Amino acid sequence: MSIHPGTASERRAPDTYTETGAKKRRRSPTRVNPALYLFPLPAVAIIAFFLVMPTLQAFQYAITDWNGFSAAFNYVGLDNFIRAFTKDSLFTNALTNNLKFVLLVVIAQTAFSLILALLLTKNSRGSILLRALFFFPTILSSVSVAFIWKFIYDPNFGLANAALGTVGLDALQGSYLGNNAQALYWVAVTQVWFHAGQMMVVYIAGLQSIPRELYEAAEMDGAGKWQQFKSITWPFVAPATSIVVAYTTVQSFKAFDLILGIAGNPPKSSLDILSTRIYSTFANSEFGYAAAQSIIFMAMIALVTWLQRRLLRLTPKGE
Amino acid sequence: MSQISRRQAMAILGALGFGATAAACAGPGGSTAPGGATGPAAPATGNVTGRVSFAHWRGEDKAVFDELIKRFAAMHDGVEVAQDISTSNDYNAQGLQKVRGAAIGDAFATFRGAQFKNFTEAGIYTELKNSKAVSNYQEGLLSAGKSGESQLGLPYQVVFPMPMANVDLFDKAGADLAPKDWDAFLGMCEKLASSGVVPISWPGGDVGNGGQLFNCMVANNAPVDDMCAQIEQGKLKCTDDWFIKMLNQYKQLVPYLQPNATGTAVEPAQNLFSQGKAAMLATGSYHIAAVRGLGATFPIELVFPNTSDGNGKYEGAYNATFILGVNAASKNQAAAAAWIDFLSEPENAGYYANQTAQHVSVKDVEYTNPDLKRLSPWLDKKTALAARFQFQNLDVRNAVEASATAVISGTSPEQAAEAAQKIVDERL
Repeated sequence: MSIHPGTASERRAPDTYTETGAKKRRRSPTRVNPALYLFPLPAVAIIAFFLVMPTLQAFQYAITDWNGFSAAFNYVGLDNFIRAFTKDSLFTNALTNNLKFVLLVVIAQTAFSLILALLLTKNSRGSILLRALFFFPTILSSVSVAFIWKFIYDPNFGLANAALGTVGLDALQGSYLGNNAQALYWVAVTQVWFHAGQMMVVYIAGLQSIPRELYEAAEMDGAGKWQQFKSITWPFVAPATSIVVAYTTVQSFKAFDLILGIAGNPPKSSLDILSTRIYSTFANSEFGYAAAQSIIFMAMIALVTWLQRRLLRLTPKGE
Repeated sequence: MSQISRRQAMAILGALGFGATAAACAGPGGSTAPGGATGPAAPATGNVTGRVSFAHWRGEDKAVFDELIKRFAAMHDGVEVAQDISTSNDYNAQGLQKVRGAAIGDAFATFRGAQFKNFTEAGIYTELKNSKAVSNYQEGLLSAGKSGESQLGLPYQVVFPMPMANVDLFDKAGADLAPKDWDAFLGMCEKLASSGVVPISWPGGDVGNGGQLFNCMVANNAPVDDMCAQIEQGKLKCTDDWFIKMLNQYKQLVPYLQPNATGTAVEPAQNLFSQGKAAMLATGSYHIAAVRGLGATFPIELVFPNTSDGNGKYEGAYNATFILGVNAASKNQAAAAAWIDFLSEPENAGYYANQTAQHVSVKDVEYTNPDLKRLSPWLDKKTALAARFQFQNLDVRNAVEASATAVISGTSPEQAAEAAQKIVDERL
């Protein structure tokens, strides 16, 4: 076996060869030992089998009325997509809930994690301890987090109402997840608690890479803290913000396990988001329709992520 | 070894990709299991050996089944039964996909209603009409496992989806355990409230358990017994007078539920009841074991929220569920069928019932569990088969039941009914 990529000198002076020899040598850079093609094959096969094929199948199922187990099915064209947007208030409700949830979590989590990072950038012992504390929820499983917060929010035995009662704020005690108008906000609080520590770490990495000299120069020029933040910190943490916002968006769209853990299966309509709705549709033996919902879900994540990056100007033109 | 160019390699990969695409675009469905809606007969004889997977959702019954498995294995050399247990919600959602193909679930159980129907349509059940097991069951309780003339499943458990009552608290309050009509039921709640306890602990934050009360509320209100099936088919509507009347009755229950009931999960609701803070737990008899596990020592009865004016057709509600079956795709059907036969013998069914505090559909079972003995008279009362399991579409079921939760949250019955009907109409 041999690899025959050609040499630099051959590439530099093709005109010195005979026509036949030149052709042979010009092709040679593209010739590699076939054995090399075997190396990526496992990865390609895994991606093809577990990612490409199911995705392609989802597109195909999305135009059928397949129930998930019958041999018989009909092609229904775009009916499933039309149904999702025009004849299914459960789907549009889940979509609205999800967009609201994403907006809440992206804003709150990004702001909270940035504030935490700004406060804990220095590598003092106290900061390191606090960073570890704030990061701790991230290593918990989402089901554990859901059960912890389910207990906190329980109106009868829960920590939240008990704490309010202890300090004499009985009037603020509530039903939390039982209140349809508020339930989504309480789950958003849980989501932020769960992941803000993780995003804080991303921000800290970004903040620690900003040269100190810039702040010293700004101080000498008389810039206040806010001006320093606006003119130095924010532009320099833009790449970190880009990661935080994109990751939080996808995470919030897919808060499936947290919602099911905290609200049960199926969740009530005020807590139904796209991923739980798709799951309910699959469970309801409407595989074709669920596949269509999945494609809309995928498109929605892509669209929202792209819009965010454009609106926040986190992606320079041309990238 | 000969060399190939990148172009050739790309062509080969392209061909592979095209093949993958073609494979992906193969029509959905594939083959169904060999059973079909009528199902092949489960083998009456055969070698009872090898491994049998028993798929179900009753994690709380695992130890009891383990003991029964030991007894079964002692009777048959070389047989091994493994329990494949999912949570009830997961089993309801994914059971069919898991059991289909028999990678697990040589023997399995299903919920009555939509899941049983889907399993039947997918041809997963085998015909048990002529099996040894079927003759052990009470004829009247077998209908939940029938599809046409075929007896595909054997409903193993009989549960009463009615509020459980703390008899001590009822006695202390002087409240009647058997109200004859709706006014008497509200009067009973009033007496309990006056005695300083929460009359009804209701897990409104848990769709599955909170919805059990619907079975009682609808039984004497609906004009027909298959009211839920008719709602789903569009023949009855949530905006009909009888349904609105029922929602108004839900509204009348609000003062007697624990505060913030719609946010209460099932575990806290059980705790309120087991700690003697609530007189009733509005779920069902299937929670007796859980409540006992939480330390409840008081005598437990069942109470039927009788919504009628005294002329109600029914005195309670029951459900025949945990429908046992043998997988048509199983490679070890003989052993799976033998396991189902074994569970269906009165002695073994009795062991299961007494250990799990759940009645069974098997005849000639001796109930020694004090709770079961106390509640056994309910087996002979005129009870309605739990209506919520008539729904074949889970979205419709959830929407209809959610109307009751909405009313308890403060929505007007008319608005809640309209919202539910809108979802039903979208799925007609």
